[in-house]
Amino acid sequence: MSIRAVILVLCLAPTTAGLIGALVPATGWFAPLGRSDFSIQPVMMFFDQPGIWSSIWLSGFTAITATLLSYVLAMFLLASIYRNGRSGVLFRLISPLLSVPHITVAVGFLFLLQPSGWLIRLLSPWLTGWDRPPDLYIIPDDLGIGLIIALTAKELPFLMLMGLSALSQMKVNDTLDQASSLGYGTYSAWLYTVQPQLSGRMRLAVLIVLIFSVSVVDMALVLAPSVPSPLAPRILEWFRDADLDFQFIAAVGAVAQLFLSLLCCVIWLLCGRMMHRLIRVLIYHGLRPRVPAWVSQSIKLAVFFVALLPCFLSVLGLMSVTIWGFADIWRFPAPLPDEWGFRAWISSADNMIVAGTNSLIIGLASSCLAVCLVIIWLEQTASRRQSTIESWLYIPLLVPQASFLFGLQIVLIWLRLDGLYITLIWVHMLFVLPYVMLSLSGSWRQFDQRYTELSATLGSSQMKQFFRVKLPILLTPIMTAFAIGFAVSCALYLPTIFASNGRMITLTTEAVTLATSASRQALGVASFLQMILPLFVFLCCDAIIRLRLKPFRYFRH
Amino acid sequence: MKRKQNNCSIGGRIHQYLSLIALIISVSVISLYQSQANADDFETTITNAKGQTVYFNAWGGSPAINQYIAWVGQRMADEYDITLTHVKLSATSDAVSRILAEKTSGKLTGGSVDLIWINGENFAAMKSYGLLQSDDWAYHLPSFIYTDADLLPGIKTDFGIPTDGQEAPWGRAQLVFGYDTAYVNTPPRSADQLAQWIIANPGRFSYPKPPDFTGVSFLKQILLETSPNPHMFLEPADQTDQNMALATLWKWLDQTHPYMRKAGRHFPANYTAMIQMLGDGELAIAFAFNPTEFSNGIAQGILPNTIRSYVHDSGTLGNVHFVAIPFNANSTAAAKVVANFLLSPEAQLHKANSDIWGDPTVLAMHKLPPDTQYAFAALPKGVATLNEGDLGKTLPEFHPSWVSVIEQQWAKRYIGQ
Repeated sequence: MSIRAVILVLCLAPTTAGLIGALVPATGWFAPLGRSDFSIQPVMMFFDQPGIWSSIWLSGFTAITATLLSYVLAMFLLASIYRNGRSGVLFRLISPLLSVPHITVAVGFLFLLQPSGWLIRLLSPWLTGWDRPPDLYIIPDDLGIGLIIALTAKELPFLMLMGLSALSQMKVNDTLDQASSLGYGTYSAWLYTVQPQLSGRMRLAVLIVLIFSVSVVDMALVLAPSVPSPLAPRILEWFRDADLDFQFIAAVGAVAQLFLSLLCCVIWLLCGRMMHRLIRVLIYHGLRPRVPAWVSQSIKLAVFFVALLPCFLSVLGLMSVTIWGFADIWRFPAPLPDEWGFRAWISSADNMIVAGTNSLIIGLASSCLAVCLVIIWLEQTASRRQSTIESWLYIPLLVPQASFLFGLQIVLIWLRLDGLYITLIWVHMLFVLPYVMLSLSGSWRQFDQRYTELSATLGSSQMKQFFRVKLPILLTPIMTAFAIGFAVSCALYLPTIFASNGRMITLTTEAVTLATSASRQALGVASFLQMILPLFVFLCCDAIIRLRLKPFRYFRH
Repeated sequence: MKRKQNNCSIGGRIHQYLSLIALIISVSVISLYQSQANADDFETTITNAKGQTVYFNAWGGSPAINQYIAWVGQRMADEYDITLTHVKLSATSDAVSRILAEKTSGKLTGGSVDLIWINGENFAAMKSYGLLQSDDWAYHLPSFIYTDADLLPGIKTDFGIPTDGQEAPWGRAQLVFGYDTAYVNTPPRSADQLAQWIIANPGRFSYPKPPDFTGVSFLKQILLETSPNPHMFLEPADQTDQNMALATLWKWLDQTHPYMRKAGRHFPANYTAMIQMLGDGELAIAFAFNPTEFSNGIAQGILPNTIRSYVHDSGTLGNVHFVAIPFNANSTAAAKVVANFLLSPEAQLHKANSDIWGDPTVLAMHKLPPDTQYAFAALPKGVATLNEGDLGKTLPEFHPSWVSVIEQQWAKRYIGQ
């Protein structure tokens, strides 16, 4: 219990301290600016900001739509393919997207879809007749649709992974066999028997996606409309305003974001409950919709198309990012660069080496630490079920980032911990650990105790049982969790700038800095490296697993 | 009596002369001594700076500028054993709010910022909140003798605020427009002509979204050209009727916004994004705060070589940018050495080269040695760079209090509509 308490404190202390650090200025108290009286003034000023309701609405709308879209599509995909065992193939196809940082996907969308983007370059002027970029309302568009699609492209693979892991703990095929023997089709069988169990197990993952989407800054900076922006980038903008009065507004914004996230969660959960009711009614009436095979086939195809479109667009986007990295000159509307070259690589080499090294070190350290802590945690919890205390570990993901990071920055400076490598690793760990826990806890709890019991009867010590029996058997999920942790760390933007005091650059901070500047080439280089680094770690982990499993390959079927 | 008086007066005159000469000698000796003392002081500073690391917080959005700063870092390492780390900001106010956070939490020494690239509103904020080294260190930099505040008042008053030596001049900026000769025959040379051109060519003009610095500067330029009384903007904003003062700007924008890119509902994030749009042909006219920006863009392949630059007939907005040292800087001595080097003829010459950065110098030519003057005159000039003479008049910057007024009013009118 005591080790678990230490882990809890490690994860929760920064979040709590940060929240307090944001709440206090929101009430008007900020002694260093000579304000030591509590007042409602900051709240009034916040609601006085032009377009504030549009910002709030935009944040809520894009978040809920993107989450709904990725959830429904993920469920549809799973329902379509889980049973015939091809989910592995599909998942392997879209899982590389899991490792690509959010900002890279966003930059890809920008390079692909903006009026001067690759798509229009490929179609112009032979098809469109445009020899100049058209004045179109795409990327950024008024409704934030570009942001929604990009978020979906990123969250769909994540929800699929979570879904697959949850399904592996259920007796899906047996249930579906029974249902279809009673005359239910593929989707109704899934909806009536699997979905109700699955949705409960997916709840945490979906809420994480929802809150992430409410508070996303880096993707919104690139893809969302800016007049006004969604709430999260505006909070950052207020924090950065030279007029120091805006600090108060930013603090109120941080609190407002917390409430907005809560509201979105409540809406989501209420809708989920209503769906549940509806499904129960359907089950009660035993509704078995009979549709001709061609209809269900075409629905299936359409769903595949819609589900894979965001992923396909992001792959195209990532390709255009890569091309830009090697384009010395690329005029509109040429479909490919006029002059290829390494100019951007040469001129940004120094920076990229520093940024890449930082990303690598921080990523490796924080995910190593997180994996170790999660294993310790799981070993300390005897029960096979998730405890309430364990869900507290997810709090850093369930509180919008901007809401506690500014406060945390003040606390870190106060403790003289700002800008240290160790601090950055710690803060990254806050975000990495919950994902590692999500990915690892299922397999860990499914571990067949008889293996260790058997080795105990052969006289091995506890240590030996753990290191020689349990760890090697669980190597695959451990390496997967590690790779996911690394990808999460690589993608973190706000935590990096707040905890490093802006002093330490990573590939992500470089990419965001470059994302609004002129040099698409330099941005291409940064984004290319951002794609490669987590992929490299994924492949390394994969290689380790293969190497380890090689002696046993004849036992697998 | 008379003679005596004469004698006396002659003697008095001689005495006066003598005392004058003595005064001159003593003054020059003292000043010589002082400058010697200054030089000695600075020798001490250089010695103290050895081995220190300077975290230079400067906007990092331009590869050309980043490379220039990297060059400075190399020179500092070679000559003074100083490690210069460029902390690339996406907005200068990031660093300002960080220094504020440090003051908030009582970190009065060992701060994270040693040197910051700054001017205008950010300087005014930092100065008024006491976030800067408050002595007049900048005036005592050895390189400061090459400047002439009479010729360029901007080096001692930053947007109407006296610098009091709390920041050292680094470079000079002037608003310059660029147009694509492929799409524009005669560029519009005034705010009125620009409005007519925008209406005649829908979707091909935009400006960076305020509070972006260049975007706000463009709004100021329009104000200076359309306002019946532009002098009021030199005074603090609270001394006039702000609604009246800004009325001509809103009229101009209301007229032109529907014909701007994306109907004036989406704006580029900053000037570099706008320059990129000019390069793509999405825009036909853009502007920048650096006279060599367009030549640089052509050299880097961002812009086609059909781009040329121009200024408005009535002159364009200009200002000086600086470097300052925060009150809690960790390596003050090294920061001063860096600031001094940035102001030195060598660094200024390198910076003015449009192949490098192309930022105009803040040094006064007549105070430089002849060979340095010659080197400045011999700098290569890109096809899209105007001559010093063609740059026309520099219009004075607004009092900084206007910036937030313009930003807020703009936001009220055009955000969330």
